[in-house]
Amino acid sequence: MTAVGEYIKDITETVTTIFEGMAVTFSHFVRRPSTIQYPDRIPKPVQEMLPLRYRGILEVDMDICTGCLACERVCPISCITIGIEMNKETKQRMFTHFDIDICKCMYCGLCAEACPTGSIRHSQEFEGACYNPAGLVRHFVTEPVLLYKPKKGGETEPTLAKKVEIGLKYLDEFATPDKGGGEGAAEG
Amino acid sequence: MQQLVDQLIQEGYFEGVPKDFVYTGFMVLVALLVLSFFVAPLAGITSWLERRVWARIQSRVGPNRVGPQGILQWLADGIKNLLKEDIIPTAADKRLFALAPYVVFVGFFATFVVIPFGSQLIVADLNIGILYLLAITSLVVVGILMAGWSSNNKWSLLGGMRSAAQIVSYEIPAGLALLTIVFAAGTLSMQGIIKAQGWAPWDWLLFYNPFTFAAFFLYFTAALAEGNRTPFDIPEAESELVAGYVTEYSGMRFLFFFFAEWGNLYVIGAIATTLFLGGWQIPPITDHPVLVGILQFIVFFLKAYLWVFVAMWVRGTLPRVRVDQLMSLCWKYMVPLSFICLLGTAAWMVIWPQGNRVASFVMFLIGVAILGLFFRRVRFQIRHAQPVLYWKPYI
Amino acid sequence: MDETLHTEGEGFHTEDMTISMGPQHPSTHGVLRFVVKTDGEVMREAIPDVGYLHRSIEKIGEKVTWHGYVPYTDRADYLAAMFANQGFCMAAEKLAGIEVARRGEFCRVIACELNRIASHLIAVGTFGQDIGAITPFIHALRERETINDLMEEICGARLTYNYIRIGGVGYDITPGTCDRITQFLDHFEPIVDEYNRLLSYNKIFIERLAHVTPITREDAFQYNIVGPNLRACGLKWDIRRDIPYSVYPELEFNIPVGTGEKGTLGDCYDRYMVRMEEMQESCKILRQCLKTLPKGPAIAKVARKFKPPAGEVYIRIESARGDMGFYVVSDGSEYPYRVRIRTGSFTAMSIIDKISRGIMVADLVALIASLDVDAPEIDR
Repeated sequence: MTAVGEYIKDITETVTTIFEGMAVTFSHFVRRPSTIQYPDRIPKPVQEMLPLRYRGILEVDMDICTGCLACERVCPISCITIGIEMNKETKQRMFTHFDIDICKCMYCGLCAEACPTGSIRHSQEFEGACYNPAGLVRHFVTEPVLLYKPKKGGETEPTLAKKVEIGLKYLDEFATPDKGGGEGAAEG
Repeated sequence: MQQLVDQLIQEGYFEGVPKDFVYTGFMVLVALLVLSFFVAPLAGITSWLERRVWARIQSRVGPNRVGPQGILQWLADGIKNLLKEDIIPTAADKRLFALAPYVVFVGFFATFVVIPFGSQLIVADLNIGILYLLAITSLVVVGILMAGWSSNNKWSLLGGMRSAAQIVSYEIPAGLALLTIVFAAGTLSMQGIIKAQGWAPWDWLLFYNPFTFAAFFLYFTAALAEGNRTPFDIPEAESELVAGYVTEYSGMRFLFFFFAEWGNLYVIGAIATTLFLGGWQIPPITDHPVLVGILQFIVFFLKAYLWVFVAMWVRGTLPRVRVDQLMSLCWKYMVPLSFICLLGTAAWMVIWPQGNRVASFVMFLIGVAILGLFFRRVRFQIRHAQPVLYWKPYI
Repeated sequence: MDETLHTEGEGFHTEDMTISMGPQHPSTHGVLRFVVKTDGEVMREAIPDVGYLHRSIEKIGEKVTWHGYVPYTDRADYLAAMFANQGFCMAAEKLAGIEVARRGEFCRVIACELNRIASHLIAVGTFGQDIGAITPFIHALRERETINDLMEEICGARLTYNYIRIGGVGYDITPGTCDRITQFLDHFEPIVDEYNRLLSYNKIFIERLAHVTPITREDAFQYNIVGPNLRACGLKWDIRRDIPYSVYPELEFNIPVGTGEKGTLGDCYDRYMVRMEEMQESCKILRQCLKTLPKGPAIAKVARKFKPPAGEVYIRIESARGDMGFYVVSDGSEYPYRVRIRTGSFTAMSIIDKISRGIMVADLVALIASLDVDAPEIDR
């Protein structure tokens, strides 16, 4: 008798659990698909939907780079190479090259944290595909430029001031995107 | 059809050509027309629909770019595969390797001969229609075994052997389930079986008695197994055998196997409709012969496609069984149960030779109750998970 | 299986079939290879062949700074990168005697438990996929996607986080993120039940897994099976509880163990269910953490040029794949002298040869999936 019972139990269990599973899958016909139809059928570009801390392809604002080489030193895979030369005529130090090899970069964010002015930072850009690995080396210096010297008491020149502000804001916001995270979280 | 050809011969269009040649020629022509304008789009659109159905089950969108809602995706896929390089492995048995897809294809395509799309719309109403079906679908296993063997790949070989064991075993419960209907209808002819039913659901053989009701599910399960569909897709079990018997195939040859598989889905639905769901029977609302023909075709097509949809949905739900479990399911559960169905129907016919209308109606109500219970569960799932709802079938 | 099949008939010679399963095979997660000897469908032996994903992560540790090595630990197990982060950072902290910021500890636990859920979702999802159910896999990935988005919000990366740093965490968790984690938990807990109804309680699924390749407690000890695989054998052993670290002693959570409810104790189904239940436990831990998140800085003051005193240390943490060990030797310089990572997947691989004899090809797939071995973690 137990054998017959087992037999019938097997059949009923199979039928009921399949029934249940079919109900689960059927209920998905009226649920909204979670697909994001990247890249074209989306309300706004993905770059704009990314959170502030998103670590995309590195970008450098050469106008506010002090040439302190902190990023080059801290990079674990040495994907940043910076060349600085003394201009013999003007006796000023100038960048000869500032290259970031995106092929090598592992987007760890250590360089952006080390930067004192926030000139090297992660953008929201991630679409870096190109036909040639050489194209993935980003050259930020096309012709020699001067190093930025932070002035005491804040930047006075308006265009540079704006850039410095952006850089510092980046450093600030990267750590705490919606301001005063520590205290607010404790309340919540 | 035959009258038309006779008329053409009488009018002297084929002077000097033997009559048999003309008939054969026309048969081939009709077959080609059906193949290119009905079966190919049918299999193609089924493939597209399957991908869309899965996608919705899995919270995805599915192909929706080629043509409106991606309905021409199958054409794009077909063209792509036609243009691909035809690779035959060096160590393969070249002749068998090239032949196998066509054998599979013939096994599936020949079933269309006896599928009744309407009271007039059938290629040949054989008086042994069901036997013909059982015989011709066995051809598929030959093709799959050929493919598995000739590829000279161990995964392919395993897949082919699994397939042979599976299809041979499941012929029995499928055959017995069909026999139940043959008992109830008293004929082997496809048209005869449909004529034994009515347009109303309680006149269908599905609700004839509890045994035919069970036989329907047995048939559907066995047919899924014969068509290598999940949960019985062990011959091509992707996660186990890479791609089973189609591992070495590429391009158009690969497509032929899947052409047959998707087309076969429709055949499964069509047979289920014919035998259990009243086929093309429509309520007597019009006498116009053309209109009746169109309505019959639509009714039949939709009923058959409903089961195609169910097969896709099952594939999206269930895991795959193991080889030994497949066999035990067949021999320990399905074969005895289909024998019970057969004997039960026989006993039923001894007691009520003309059938029992009350029992049919009760069975119909039970069927409706099961459906109601199902939708209650669906509602429960939605309430439980609190998803964002989206009622439109398109996106 | 019986040997009589082999010698049946005079002069009728049969041979075992040797199949190379992998490195390119749909169900060997990552690039694993098994040299499989079968008699038809029945397995004679399956010998794992590892090393296809070796990236010399341990050696790299000797060449980069202490801070700079943290992003590399992500790559040791990219499905559960947070744990390797934490393991290495804990080792460095123990060497230098750094007190971790308290808020940082909570942030670590939140990130780790989210990561544990993500990793287990992959494990059970691919499990379903290997058994042949295509839908649960995508459902699991859908939920994991939400976790990835949360991670992106917390630390800016989806997979290789570099979030946990020596002394605490890189970035603080903000109130907005806390709300979204709570939202996710509210959404996720019913989904786990739904997942159970769809897959775990399915009769076909149970039949495929119950009684398949049970690991006895003795075998588990001998082969050093750890983590969920060990707990599936019925042993309540969890580093989080037994060798407590971080703030786990302050949190309340159960340790799910295998019960053998559907088959033998320690079979594939137990290993599967332990993971399902662990996800629910992780949800509990997350809720507690979010409730008691203390104020304060998220990271302690650590010199940028970090030079721990000479010495050696061994750290054990409970990763998603079990006991993960970091053996770190310092010679007092800017670089670690030696880093050794001990992972759960590697030992799990070693038992496959023993328990896979006499099962079927389809069961081997289930076995690999149930052990949740992860190729990058095996080879490192």
